Amino acid sequence: MENIAALSNEQITRDLLPQKFGRRGMIWTGSLIVLCLVGAYAYYRQLKYGLVVTNMRDYVSWGIYISNFVFFVAISLVGSLITAIFRLANVKWATPLTRIAEIIAVSAIVFASLIIIVDMGRPERFMNLFIHGRIQSPIMWDVIVIGTYFFISCLLLYFPLLPDLKILISVKEKTGKALNKLYRFQGSFWKGTKAQFRISDKAINILCIIIIPVAFCIHTVTSWLFATTYRPGWDSTNFGAYFISGAFLVGAGGVVVAMYVFRKAYHLDKYITPKHFEKMGRIVVLLALLYLYFNINEYLVPAFKMKKPEEAHLAQLFTGEYALLFWFAIMIGMIIPIIMLVFTKGRRPLPVFIAGVMVVIGAWFKRYLIVTPTLLHPFLPMQNVPESYHHYFPSWEEWAIAIGSLSGALLIITLFARIYPIIPIHETITEQHEEVEKK
Amino acid sequence: MSCNCGGNNCDKNSRRDFLLTSLLATAALAGCSDKKNPFTPEGEVIPSGEKVKLLSVDGEIIEMDKAFLKPVPDLPQLSNSEERKGIAGKKFVMVIDLARCKNLGKCREACNHAHQVHPGQNWIKVLGMEDSDHTAPYWQPTTCMHCDEPPCVKVCPVDATFKRQDGIVLIDSDRCIGCRFCMAACPYSTRVFNWEEPILIKEVADDQEVVGHHYSCETSTPQKKGTVGKCDFCPDMARKGELPHCVSACPNGVFFFGDMNEDSVTNGAETFQFSQLIKDKAGYRLMEDLGTKPRVYYLPPVNRSFPYESGLENEKQEDKKAN
Amino acid sequence: MKKLKKNKLVWLFLALSVISSNSLSGQEDSVAPKEIVKLHYFNHNNSLQYLLIESQLKKGKKIEPQKNKGFNLFLDKVQPENLITRVYTDNSGKAKAVIPPQLKDLWDSAAQHTFLVVAEAAGKGEETTSEFIITKAKISLDTSSTDETKNISVTVMKYDNNSWVPVKDVEVKIGIERLGGVLPAGDEDSYTTDSTGAVTGEFKKINLPGDEQGNFLLIARVEDNDELGNLMIDKKVPWGITTKQDNTFFDQRTLWSTRFKTPLWLLFMAYSIVIGVWGTIIYLVIQLIKIKKLASLSAEK
Repeated sequence: MENIAALSNEQITRDLLPQKFGRRGMIWTGSLIVLCLVGAYAYYRQLKYGLVVTNMRDYVSWGIYISNFVFFVAISLVGSLITAIFRLANVKWATPLTRIAEIIAVSAIVFASLIIIVDMGRPERFMNLFIHGRIQSPIMWDVIVIGTYFFISCLLLYFPLLPDLKILISVKEKTGKALNKLYRFQGSFWKGTKAQFRISDKAINILCIIIIPVAFCIHTVTSWLFATTYRPGWDSTNFGAYFISGAFLVGAGGVVVAMYVFRKAYHLDKYITPKHFEKMGRIVVLLALLYLYFNINEYLVPAFKMKKPEEAHLAQLFTGEYALLFWFAIMIGMIIPIIMLVFTKGRRPLPVFIAGVMVVIGAWFKRYLIVTPTLLHPFLPMQNVPESYHHYFPSWEEWAIAIGSLSGALLIITLFARIYPIIPIHETITEQHEEVEKK
Repeated sequence: MSCNCGGNNCDKNSRRDFLLTSLLATAALAGCSDKKNPFTPEGEVIPSGEKVKLLSVDGEIIEMDKAFLKPVPDLPQLSNSEERKGIAGKKFVMVIDLARCKNLGKCREACNHAHQVHPGQNWIKVLGMEDSDHTAPYWQPTTCMHCDEPPCVKVCPVDATFKRQDGIVLIDSDRCIGCRFCMAACPYSTRVFNWEEPILIKEVADDQEVVGHHYSCETSTPQKKGTVGKCDFCPDMARKGELPHCVSACPNGVFFFGDMNEDSVTNGAETFQFSQLIKDKAGYRLMEDLGTKPRVYYLPPVNRSFPYESGLENEKQEDKKAN
Repeated sequence: MKKLKKNKLVWLFLALSVISSNSLSGQEDSVAPKEIVKLHYFNHNNSLQYLLIESQLKKGKKIEPQKNKGFNLFLDKVQPENLITRVYTDNSGKAKAVIPPQLKDLWDSAAQHTFLVVAEAAGKGEETTSEFIITKAKISLDTSSTDETKNISVTVMKYDNNSWVPVKDVEVKIGIERLGGVLPAGDEDSYTTDSTGAVTGEFKKINLPGDEQGNFLLIARVEDNDELGNLMIDKKVPWGITTKQDNTFFDQRTLWSTRFKTPLWLLFMAYSIVIGVWGTIIYLVIQLIKIKKLASLSAEK
């Protein structure tokens, strides 16, 4: 972190303190809130009239709610990647990215749980999951594992925040009374003593270890919601690994995008440097190649055999109704980012950001392609149903709710960055000292 | 006592009346027959407590409960746990003879009517099947398979769909959370979802026998918004000693229903030894390779009663209705 | 499957005859619905007897049950003393009636009786009376078995001139009571009585399950005979194979069992993971509390 090395502690603190929204920030937050409200209105309509307001029907019984859910779960995996894996591997340069990754993880997992409730036909019976819960069902596994992951992610967000809270409390005049009260409530007990640090460091280490298997679990279990059925396109032993590799990719893409946006919005050029983009670019390439590998595995093997039920499914993806979307998702989600990022020039901040956006968009549509086309190819022919049952395109309510949920996740991240330092102040200072000492 | 009403009606009636006769007899002449068939509802009918004196064939005066004078006796309301257990000692099974089906759709109609299925949706689908380019097309009525290894029950997170000891897979719409995992898990696409508030078509709404009773997993009615529904093998009819609606509605005798423990299936007019029928006509089950172990058997469409094409006309009419 | 085919032919024939008779009558009176009243007489085990009235409305080709229709039933003559009962049909257009004890003398006085069904006047229409004549009859069922064969013989007799005489040419069905129907006991679906009023059938259903003792109910019946009505007799015979009721269904621990019967390996796996992870989480929360406590300690110092 040579370019930070020259900075004083006060400078770092001043740079990294949460800042009030500017005009752009206000517009951004305002639009997110509006989108959320539109989504809420759409959900109100769904509650009133039933799931009939969606375009899901008996054959396509899962639509973009579920693909959105899978997307959220996928992107939330990044928390374990950046924070845990890098920390355990002692990758120091990733320190400024840890909190970004963790808040993405927490907000995504919150909306993953919300969207799954939105998908329920009888949300008021949610408690049945606890009253009558059946451990044989992969849905129960998902409920347990998502709850656990949410809790661990919160802890992983909270422990490293404690030293920063102390700093925040100390600059009361800059943060305002209300926030100061919040900081005091959350972290007034942190004195920064050696004993406290010892416990905290140990706790963070344990969290980093435990979050990895739990993160693998959430996405593996989510993939099993599909893989435990007989449907062509889902009936795969590869699904867990396929989903996890995809999740790491979209998570890394999400972090890259967030890095770039925060860097611009909060003028963090000194802390999130081109070097970070260069390194994240490499990681995205690696993960995209990994995901591509699993994709080839997932499509080539059944396409080689062309079992009858698979045939219709694959044909519609490769050359049929969904071909455009399929190749778009493959190109934009993997191929183009790989090509862009293998070159050194491609790993400058802006191209990396663009690649990140492509990865995230590609990933969203990829999830849609995993969920919906399969359902349009049941084993028995689709007959004796109204014509509308033969197709699926989301209704405006579905789009509104899906967009509303994505906005909601972004809103959580935005508000979090408004209240807390998005780059850990304390850790940045400590690392700077270490650097100086080394020299 | 002439019966000139022709085939189906007459057979159906006599079957039903036969059952009622046997139950009348056991009720009236206690001790004369000590058979205990859990199927005929004799043990379960609510006695009215009022006795009726009547004259026997040889002019003797005998006594019996008034409840048995009703053509269809009242059965006690079952508790949810009772409905979840099922009828002891039974293993229900269905045989569908593809050689007899001409896509008349009476099964579907009767089923939809009895179960208040949402207009447009069907619990029974009569599929026009053509397995490959050069194989013969045929009509395949498709009900719930009531699998012995039901993939839908495996994935239900709240025990809302369950397997009973009599082999039937049912849904408890008071428990279902509407996650639709079971629909994704069912390889036979047999499950339908109540996407909106249930709608009763006029004919159903007018039928006092069908509407206006409390919810029961066995009748699957009234339908509930936001829950999953499917063919239930009509256990309520079985308790009354009657056959499922599709079986009695089919004029061609396509559907056979019975009890594997009795090794017999019937379509109301004909009764066969189940094992013999399956053996003689090479019965099979759908998607055996999935290991779901269906309780519905199919007899292959050989020596057909009707050409495939005769069903196409019905298909067109059905399409018109649906759209 | 010769038998099956034959049945199918019968079926076809019956179906055709329905269609043709319907269409014929449909042409006759397509405007005014025609009332059809049928009376079925049932005699069970030569003791219990009852009447079933079936009322239908024929509108063009369609036959519908006539609900809530009132009928007065009389024995032999339409006069108040001879009233059997007054009934209303249910939703399926049916009503049941039994002969009351006060008609005992009248019933005993003759071998043949006429049941008169007087339909209540409906609207502008007037009372209509239908007649059904029944002769007292009895049916008996005997079984004999040797090592190889099991035989069933059924005799149908009617009461005539103060004595029981055999009835010839009556169709008798012999079968085993099964769920929803009667399984033919032999190769034939039905048999016709000879001059001694008897039929004999051989029991052919080998390996048919009976109850726990191997018993099942053998049934012989005459269906809708013009002269005798419906006669039925049953007899319990130990000709089946014994079956044992399986009570272990709810003890199975499988993936499709209820939440109370989760497979043990799954329970073990799930609980060990959950306990392991949440144990760690609880430990971490305790650490957090420890940090809090340290703060108050340092404050005291």
